[in-house]
Order: sequence, then C-alpha cells, then structure tokens
Amino acid sequence: MSLLDKVFVVAENASVIDEVCAAGRTCGQKVEMVLIGSQEDAKRAISVGADKVYYLGEATVEKRVEDFLPTIAALSDQEKPAAIIFRTTVRGRLMAARLAAVLGTNVLTDASSLQVDGTALISKKRVYGGAALREEKAVGPVSVVCISPGIAAPLEADSSREGEIIEVAFIEPTRKVKCIETKAKVGEQVNLPAAKRVICVGRGMEAQDDLNMIYELASLLGAEVGCTRPIAEGEHWMSKERYVGVSGVMLKPELYIGVGISGQIQHMVGTDQASTIVVINNDKKAPIFQYADYGIVDDLYTAVPALMQKFKNQ
Amino acid sequence: MNIIVCYKLVPEEQDLVVNSDRSISWDKAEWKIGSYDLNAVEAAMELVESAGGKVTVLSVGNSRLENAKLKKAILSRGPEELVTVVDDDLVDLDGHNTAKLLAAAVNKIGAYDVILCGEGSADIYAQQVGSQLGELLGITVLNAVSKITPQGDRLVVERTLEDEVEVLEIDLPAVLSVTTDINVPRIPTPKDILAGGKKPATKWGLADVGAEIAATVEYLSTLAPEQRERKHIILEGASEENISKLYEFIRQELA
Repeated sequence: MSLLDKVFVVAENASVIDEVCAAGRTCGQKVEMVLIGSQEDAKRAISVGADKVYYLGEATVEKRVEDFLPTIAALSDQEKPAAIIFRTTVRGRLMAARLAAVLGTNVLTDASSLQVDGTALISKKRVYGGAALREEKAVGPVSVVCISPGIAAPLEADSSREGEIIEVAFIEPTRKVKCIETKAKVGEQVNLPAAKRVICVGRGMEAQDDLNMIYELASLLGAEVGCTRPIAEGEHWMSKERYVGVSGVMLKPELYIGVGISGQIQHMVGTDQASTIVVINNDKKAPIFQYADYGIVDDLYTAVPALMQKFKNQ
Repeated sequence: MNIIVCYKLVPEEQDLVVNSDRSISWDKAEWKIGSYDLNAVEAAMELVESAGGKVTVLSVGNSRLENAKLKKAILSRGPEELVTVVDDDLVDLDGHNTAKLLAAAVNKIGAYDVILCGEGSADIYAQQVGSQLGELLGITVLNAVSKITPQGDRLVVERTLEDEVEVLEIDLPAVLSVTTDINVPRIPTPKDILAGGKKPATKWGLADVGAEIAATVEYLSTLAPEQRERKHIILEGASEENISKLYEFIRQELA
C-alpha cells in the first residue's frame, strides 16, 4: 500500500499517544505528532513511532485542551500534512470537527479502518445504527480523521528510536470557556468493552428487582452485566455505561449471554464480535436467535434459575 | 433568550431492509425526526421556560421537510417557529456542507443567543455538525453537554467527558450539542399537535441563504456487515435435559 507523505497525529493527552502513532504509521511516510502533554510524553511519542513531535505544552485549568485549537490550526496551515488524525474521544471529536470547519472539509469519524488512496484516506465507519458499514473517502487536500480504538496495534516502545521535538508557541484563542470545576462522573465506572464474559438483559425482564438473579448468575460465571438501551435510558435500571449497541458499548467478549432480549439490530451490532452467543428468550421467533450459537426457548424466569442451580452445584 | 434548534429527518431504523447483496434499502421506510434532536428541542423548551425567550427549529434537506405531519411533529414539541432550507440536491449531505448551510440559514435568521443540536444524527451519528457549525459561525462551541443552567447573560453547563464532568461558564452566543441523558423529551398532547399545525413555517431555497455546496467526502459503499457464522443450536423448553446441555455448552466456553 502506498503511503501519504506526511501525516499529523494529534494527542490531546498522554493516554492516546500510542494509538494515534500506530494509526499514523499505517498511512504516513512521516508521522508527526501534535502533543498536548509533558516533555516525558514527547519522548514516549518518539519511542512508539513519531518522527517528530510538535510540543505544545501541558493543558491547565486556564489553558484548556480546546484552547490549543488555533495553535494546531496554524501549525497545520504551515506544515500542510496530507492527513490529520485524532482519537475518537469527546474532546477529539470537537477539535477534529472545528479544525475541519476551518479547513473546509468533513471529518471521517469513528474510523474502524484506514486505507490510503492516492493522496487521501479512505475509512470505514458504522452507520444506520450500526446496521451498515460505510466506506468513505475524503475529498480535498487534507483528510481529517477520528479513529476508533483498536484500529492499529501500538508499536513496542523503543527508546533507541530517534526523533525531533519542536516547541510550538501557544496562540491565544479569541474565545475562551471558563472551567469552574471538574467533578467525578456520577455512576459507576465499568469497562464492558474489555469484559471477557457479558450477560445482557432486555425488555423481557419484568421488574428491576429481578435483575438480582442476573447479577447472581453473572457472579457465578465471572461475567459483567450489560443491557439494551431501553433498560438504561427508558427504565433507568442500569447506568448508561452498561448499555450495549448503537451509541453505547461495543462488546468483544468470548461469551455473550442475551436474556430476554428480542435482538434488534441496534443492540446486536454491539455483540457481533462475541466469540460465542447464548440466548434465553421465550419467543422462538425473536430475531436474536438468528445470532445464537446456543439458545433456550423458554421463559427466562424458568430458565435462568435452573441454569444458575447447575453452576451452584458444580 | 433566542434559541435555534437544529434537527434532521432520518429513516425509521426499524424499516431498514438489507438486500441480498448486503446493500441497504430505505424504500419502504417511514421518516421521522432524529431521536437525539428531540433532546435538543426539550433542552431549548426548558431553557425558555426558565429564562424566557423564543425557540425556532431549523433544518436543511430535500422536500421531505415539507411533509405536513413531520412539520407538525417538530412544532408540537413547543417551538414557535420553523425554518427550513429545501432543495432536491440536499440528500446525503456530508457534515461540513450541512454545517455550512445551517450557518448560512442562522445568519439569515439573525438574532440568536443559543443554538442547540442533538448529540449526533440518528442515522449517520458522526457527531460533528454542531461543532462545525459553531466554528463556522465563529462562536463558542461545545459537545457532550449534559446540563444547562442560565446564569444572567451567560450559561453554566456541564460537559460529560470519558472520565469526568467539566462545569463550564460560557459567554453567548454559543452552539451546544447535548447528550441523550440531559432530559427526557416530553410527549406532545393532541392539543400540542393541533397547535403545531398552526405555527409559522418559513421555507428558503439555496439561493435565499446564499450558500453553495461542494462535496467534501465521497461515499464509496454502504453495506451490511458480513454476518459471523453461528452454530444455531436452539433447544425448545427449559427441561432438565436442555438446561444440562446448555450448562455444558457454557462450561466448555468458559474452560
């Protein structure tokens, strides 16, 4: 595959350095990082694949991450990279969109793959609630991209790699937002995408208290518990962090068990990377059975306690 | 406070048909207002209910926007006025061009303090139109806004990041894209729907807003993903025998 001459990868904080560098290496001859972080982070960036680091300094309460946008825009105007790659985060999305607006282009968002075509990038993203994959190509002199996690395997850190670190002066933005405080996120921190085993529940559950038997089964199996969107956003029986599917969590477990879930595409797109899918549902015609490796057609209130008993007896 | 809320018409996802060549067909689909945009409308209504003002809804697209039922559907949720930019070419518009047209329409509308957008469009969900719009207008812009509180001539907003919540004070005008958990959109009563049909609606063409469109992205293909092969071992009834089999299956997977 041919490579673009020069790509910018933007790290708005240290946690995305490895990923954006790896993504940059798949499509650029020269990978140049625009870094908001520490000097240590700049060295790290070079060790994992950056040829050059434009070092913007660290973000503070007065100098928020987004305040660096005019600096990044001026830098890209000066250096004219063929592509600018951000990581898909809340801040990454905002900055990519704002930069694209300045550059007069669209952002290839949520890119799950990247490919070079001539002087532009082609990306794939899920559309229509995840029901389809769209392949799209940037038109114009610069491709702006937001990459999804896992798009390229990070390079092994190698401290013998060489690269240049260039300090870049901060350009004061004309508009500023004042940060009064930051608060801890309410609700629990769960990491469903990393879970190896997940039990998900849907509308088949009749009451919130009935979730207890699901939690009990989950603890027997060493599984995390997730749900469909109506359970989180309609019933508020679980936190938003636990709903699986479109605009929620995309799972990659070894084992997924769907209980009382009909199998709407909006949920199932979050499960299709599961190695094994087990289904418990009383409706034989429920679409979820089309995705099942193993299934039981019966009332979940009969099947779940019976299954649980087996695991208790083992 | 003058508020403009942007919305998009999207096909009902339940009506999606996947053809045998994995292409997608919306030929039989009903159209509706994007579900995420309803949160933006509700946030706007709550703002004017507490701080006073007027809500205008704005969309760009093809003649489907003129469908009386869909116009009523958005206006029945409380906004006073509807503005649309309609042209037959405005189909599958990319995010940049959408933002450009919205910016042109906003400038023609003139007076505004806040522009609200949903988290993303319910069909493509690229979550960038609001952010591009703010930048094109040259005003403050934020995404992931999960709470809005008026404070004098400013707003205090909460913005939900991956691991924390920022509490921010912003000057107006501003464009804010709101999350789905900012509110629960109210359901219009029959009276609201009746009233919605009587509210003023303005339709502009591309020439009226003085905007031109030029694609910034090329769609190469849109296909349903290939389905993974599954075993499809389905047992009917939670008999002792079937539960034992299922237990063995799961145990093997856990091993």
